[in-house]
Amino acid sequence: MSSLLSVKNMSINFDTPRGSLEAVRGVDIEIPAGTSVGIVGESGSGKTVMCRAAMGLLQGSNVKRSGTVVFDGHELTAMSKEEVRDLFGSGMAMIFQDPMTALNPVRRIGSQLSEGLRVRLGMSKADALARSKELLELVRIPNAAAVLKSFPYQLSGGMRQRVMIAIAIACNPKLLFADEPTTALDVTVQAQILQLLRELREDLKMSMVLVTHDLGVVAGNTDYVAVMYAGEVVEYAPTKKLFADMRMPYTEALLDSIPKIDHKSGTRLSMIAGRLPDPTDRGAGCSFAPRCKYAQEKCHKEHPELKKDPDGHLYRCWFPIGEAK
Amino acid sequence: MAGSGTAHMRNTVDAVLTVRDLTVEFRVAKDKIVKAVSGLSFDVIKGETLAIVGESGCGKTTLARAVLQLPPPNSGEVVFDKTDLTLLPKENLRSARTSMQMIFQDPISSLDPRMTVHQLIDEPLEIWDRGTRAERDERINNLLNNVGLEPELVLNRRSYEFSGGQCQRISIARALALDPRMLICDEPVSALDVSIQAQILNLLQDMKDRFGLTMIFISHDLAVVKAVSNRVMVMYLGKICEVATPDTLYSKPAHHYTKALLNSVPIADPTRQRKTELLQGEPPSPMNPPSGCRFRTRCAAASALCAEQEPQLREVTPGQFVACHHPIV
Amino acid sequence: MRKFTKPTWFAIGWLGLMMFFSLFGWLLPFKAWNFVYEDDLEVGLFSSGHLLGTDSNGYDLLSSAVAGTRMSIFIAIAAVGLGGFIGSVLGIMAAYLRGKVDTVMVTIFNVGLSVPNLVLALALVSVLATNVDINQAVPTWRRVMVLIISLTIVLIPILGRIARGATLSWSGREFVTAARSMGMKDSKIILRHIVPNVLPALIAVAFLAVGVVIIAEASLSILGVGIPDGASWGGMIARGRNDLEYAPHVLYVPIVFLALTVISTNHLGDVVRSKLDSREAKV
Repeated sequence: MSSLLSVKNMSINFDTPRGSLEAVRGVDIEIPAGTSVGIVGESGSGKTVMCRAAMGLLQGSNVKRSGTVVFDGHELTAMSKEEVRDLFGSGMAMIFQDPMTALNPVRRIGSQLSEGLRVRLGMSKADALARSKELLELVRIPNAAAVLKSFPYQLSGGMRQRVMIAIAIACNPKLLFADEPTTALDVTVQAQILQLLRELREDLKMSMVLVTHDLGVVAGNTDYVAVMYAGEVVEYAPTKKLFADMRMPYTEALLDSIPKIDHKSGTRLSMIAGRLPDPTDRGAGCSFAPRCKYAQEKCHKEHPELKKDPDGHLYRCWFPIGEAK
Repeated sequence: MAGSGTAHMRNTVDAVLTVRDLTVEFRVAKDKIVKAVSGLSFDVIKGETLAIVGESGCGKTTLARAVLQLPPPNSGEVVFDKTDLTLLPKENLRSARTSMQMIFQDPISSLDPRMTVHQLIDEPLEIWDRGTRAERDERINNLLNNVGLEPELVLNRRSYEFSGGQCQRISIARALALDPRMLICDEPVSALDVSIQAQILNLLQDMKDRFGLTMIFISHDLAVVKAVSNRVMVMYLGKICEVATPDTLYSKPAHHYTKALLNSVPIADPTRQRKTELLQGEPPSPMNPPSGCRFRTRCAAASALCAEQEPQLREVTPGQFVACHHPIV
Repeated sequence: MRKFTKPTWFAIGWLGLMMFFSLFGWLLPFKAWNFVYEDDLEVGLFSSGHLLGTDSNGYDLLSSAVAGTRMSIFIAIAAVGLGGFIGSVLGIMAAYLRGKVDTVMVTIFNVGLSVPNLVLALALVSVLATNVDINQAVPTWRRVMVLIISLTIVLIPILGRIARGATLSWSGREFVTAARSMGMKDSKIILRHIVPNVLPALIAVAFLAVGVVIIAEASLSILGVGIPDGASWGGMIARGRNDLEYAPHVLYVPIVFLALTVISTNHLGDVVRSKLDSREAKV
């Protein structure tokens, strides 16, 4: 399987008043064509920054970047801003956590949705509006004609997210970045949106990068999972393999600490002690070592490299689960 | 569903809090009235944790605040410790409130950014003049130790220097300062990272056991609720759908809405994904709720009866109460 | 936090000097500001004995400017202080109590804001500062009082609205609800939790307001209803405006003092504002 997107050795630093903040450290990720890859991590794990950088959306004088990003045969890191921009829409598209801030509050849905079609595909105004209506129907919005004429604030959170998805898929992108697309939504609406994304991916033959903090969302919606912690990928494997055979203690601890609906009530939750590490001060050893119940002396002193099992399962740990200590 | 009724009320002397027929409405424009909570009753027994579950807009936060009279409800009784708070004069209410404390969702916004941790926790003690300076300082140190913070390290720092989880610990310490009998937690962990959530939930559980607290725990997350509660009340558009113990409710939901909620929770296991029909659409506006059962517009089992008559809560299995004309059996 | 840029240091320095002039200017070994130097009419800048020259009447410009500082700064601080105090009390009460009080306050503020500042001040001054007996001059102290009262009235709705807006956003925070659930009295919640959080925003605006008031006072003086006899910077401009063609420095001196002061207060207002924003971003 060829990869649609490949990120190699990406590092991103932000200059802050408190010193250099290492948001992403030497990340390698492959997104095979036609698959859905979940990127899981807590706040500050670098998952969002990494995705923005992969799309070339990270700007500012205080950002330092290194590494390469290759999308569909184009090396994005070597292209000009204009050339990268031309890839948006038909190449890749993005949906965000908060659709309210991603939509322009003073323009009607119809005009925001048809704009991309007219600019990218050179459609006439009437054609673009007709296509917009089809797109809204495609994302299962009832009463599409009325929604075209409404403003974002008149729609519910779930409807706005559907509109965002319609805008994102308007030009048939090959890759959809979904950054916490359901975090702001209620559970029943979250389930609807995730189902919609699954169906659209199949119908449009679209790959997806799903960024989330929720292992439950990842389990049912992705083919591969990359787990990030403190700016690094600490484990990468096919989703089924990852859940069946975790190697990285962090992944295990994260999964154990989520309350589960099929646990008996009143069960005490297992928890990860301590806090997320300070992004301006990464220690010498493994970033997770201070919170890891298996940590040994070596873990605090030496930084583990990404290791690869024969089946392609990647992890960053000196003493992975399932190996003799 | 989403009906009224009092069949689930236990009418026992052990009830710490009894709410009857509580209604909260907000006027948002001239003829627009949001019916946030409509004629709702429930009770909480000493030492129990009642979880209130529902999606945004179901009125669960409004309900919690109405219990504390912040603001007071439009009608209904809130009997706490045998006193009806809605009838209390302002001055008595002030002191009655101290035995009910609240933990909020946003850990940072619930602490005044200008105050140090010492000032924050001292504040309730100072208002009620609890002890001398030295006694209060000792109490503050004990409270901080209880919630797992080191007094020497945190006393002189301000809230913005702390992470969300630590702020939530400070809030808990402050809430416990006045020895409350009841703690009302409004989504206390939903703003926190996954790895921190479990720490705070366990801490709340420990504090409850240690101080013999009674709790109301509000959440949209069914899995979190299951871990902490003894009784669960599911709400939809300002009404109760179902009340039961968590084990019954999660294994044999009787309400169609409860079942839909449970089916929407993502399962963190790729081999056990469900293939069930999802609940369609979104809740109607609380300004103009449907007649009869408020859930009928999204319910697959709805009949003509559901539009005409509002279902009353009734016991379907021992200890499980449901407001539905066509419960799942 | 401790590091300031050069313009900020300049603004602090200049305002410090102005404060010094207004408090201790009379102790400095300058010439008398209200004495007519008949031998030195209209001498230029940097003349011996008159560092900044004199005007066509023979008044020493440096001592006039230093003396004018007192009047201009006094009026500005008094008006901003009074207007800020009354405005914030009204604004905070309106936002905290909501309901009818709020509606009434907002209406009053809006009516006040709808009249142009200068027109309102002009109307107030001309009504309040005239004598029943038109042949009798209005004493300076009364003019000053009237000017302060007028400018205060102009400022109340401006600062009141800011206080109201800030209070609305802070009183919605959960720590206020938490304080109420602890049984804290409303008056104490306002003093403890609302005022300290609203104050920084008000201070930032107060700096800008000082600049506005100094200019308003000058404008009124130029229009002839402000401070007479060159006793403030505006008064100096008013008295020297006929000299513009042949002795422009007579105007430059008060204008430079006035401009530097206003630029400094505006700049400091911005500095306070941005410090506040960065702190708030953390909260």
